Amino acid sequence: MNSMSRFFEMGGYAAFVWPAYAITFAAIVLNILWARRSLARSREEARRRLAARGEGA
Amino acid sequence: MTWTWFHRLASPPYIYTLAARLTPWFAWPAGLLIVAGLWGGLVLAPPDYQQGDGFRIIYVHAPSAWMSLMVYTTMAIAAAVGLIWRIKVAHAVAASCAPIGASFTFAALVTGALWGQPMWGTYWEWDPRLTSELILLFLYLGYMGLRAALEDTQRADRASGVLAVVGVVNVPIIHYSVTWWNSLHQAPTVMRLAKPEIAASMLVPLLMMLLGFTLFFVAILLVRLRGEVLSRERSASWIREVVSA
Repeated sequence: MNSMSRFFEMGGYAAFVWPAYAITFAAIVLNILWARRSLARSREEARRRLAARGEGA
Repeated sequence: MTWTWFHRLASPPYIYTLAARLTPWFAWPAGLLIVAGLWGGLVLAPPDYQQGDGFRIIYVHAPSAWMSLMVYTTMAIAAAVGLIWRIKVAHAVAASCAPIGASFTFAALVTGALWGQPMWGTYWEWDPRLTSELILLFLYLGYMGLRAALEDTQRADRASGVLAVVGVVNVPIIHYSVTWWNSLHQAPTVMRLAKPEIAASMLVPLLMMLLGFTLFFVAILLVRLRGEVLSRERSASWIREVVSA
């Protein structure tokens, strides 16, 4: 058994360790995506508000 | 002492540009610390003498749990400032905190369950620590639901702000639950007044993860804050400059 597959086996705890890391990684990635999307949406709304008032954007 | 810095921080255009400028200064160190902490925690740290490699869940569980409490405390303080001094930017900070805190509270609960199964023999127990953390998730979700239900931003700020401030009593309950009650959950290893009870090779990656997650929170908060500040401004001329850029 090479050291790489031993690493992934996590001493028999692979079924618990890797899902725990995956869910936390997902939380990080989703936070980045959600934050960007929310800012883009607010900018789009502000642009539309200005356009509706005839102030242009 | 002058209060100009305080007034400037309450000024939406100033906050918007400051937040944009500061974001990379938090995002990059956060990324580096998290990558280094992962390497240290998964590769360099030795297996625990009791839990073997299963203990490595600590490097994602403890930072997530720390985020759940730290973000809520930030949210409650911001909401209180917004309610007391009627500062829109403070309410915008509070509103920006909620989804970040909710997601990491969820991660803390799931990683905790995944740690509990091999070590305690159960994914879930109605234990004081676990139950109070679940209540924290409901507080975040309640806060977000209340905001979503109220059309008017000012009313949403006020109502959700009161909820955030009242809910902060749960934070010390979560932290001290393992001391006050007989809990399955262990007592704090790092967040305690005495010296941390953990070997340096295990502690250093954990501290890197804790700091990295904290900086990550600030970076995400700054991005969200800009959106919240924009959506609260109706007619200010500075908006034209920032959205057309």
